[in-house]
Amino acid sequence: MTDFDALLKRSFAEAHEPADDGFVVNVTHRVAKREADLKVRGYMQVGAITIGAAAVSWGLYAFAGAFSQDVAASAGLEVARLHAAVSTAPDAGAAAQGFVQSLGAGLTQILLVTAALAGGAVAYRATQE
Amino acid sequence: MVSRGFTHLAEATEAALIIAAQAKDQAAFGELVKRRQGWARALLRRMCQSHAEADDLAQEAFIKAWDRLRDLETPAAFPGWFRRIAVTTFLMAKRRQKAVFEEITDASPLASEESTPEAAAGAKLDLEKALARLSDAERLCVTLNHGEGLSHSEIVEITGLPLGTVKSHVLRGTDKLRRLLDPDS
Repeated sequence: MTDFDALLKRSFAEAHEPADDGFVVNVTHRVAKREADLKVRGYMQVGAITIGAAAVSWGLYAFAGAFSQDVAASAGLEVARLHAAVSTAPDAGAAAQGFVQSLGAGLTQILLVTAALAGGAVAYRATQE
Repeated sequence: MVSRGFTHLAEATEAALIIAAQAKDQAAFGELVKRRQGWARALLRRMCQSHAEADDLAQEAFIKAWDRLRDLETPAAFPGWFRRIAVTTFLMAKRRQKAVFEEITDASPLASEESTPEAAAGAKLDLEKALARLSDAERLCVTLNHGEGLSHSEIVEITGLPLGTVKSHVLRGTDKLRRLLDPDS
């Protein structure tokens, strides 16, 4: 290290540090404001999630009110068919065929339920945004 | 001032303040800022040409530190960790202003020196004024090397500049400072 390098290091070490002059207050105010904003954002998220959940529940409730009888009747019918298929054809192949047939017949109901859930999810996401 | 776990914040050790601030104790962080603001602002004032800009960047760096304080593994690492945040904040601000740090093109940097009143009077300049005559990149590298005692490889790590560029900036910057601060040499 040359003499000048040493002098330079000493000059850096001896250079005065600025006085506070309100700097700390500015930083602490900004930190406090930031934390308050984060808290508000947290409350808003909780509110959005609640609204989303309510929208999904309401959607499911409305769906059940409109289609529950049909769904229950169809499901009962499919169960009866499945039961008949299983009881009349005891071999595994026939039972599986009967099950697939029942599944096919019940596909409409499955699609309707899936669509309702998807709609609910979209509503939930929309409220979150 | 009374905070969680402290009777007097002023008597708490820096490590204790950092641990409390990591638990989101704003008063402890305020005390930490109070203790470190001089060093942080002096560091950024040496890197920036304007005191107002340096103070804005110091404020931004402290806010970032508050947000990321939980990432700090040991309180003892705070100075180096904060220095990195300050330098990154400075570099980001300069990149927004389209400043170039990688190029070394300044072949006759002190051409304007003769025209300044201090030089004309043969007076020695103080460190801050001399630093203001360097390019942004030279000022950054010289400050980190001579002011903060970082090695070239540490400066590479903290700034992301190539090693050869850092060495050149330190060499050129030191040489310019020698001519400015010690014109007789």
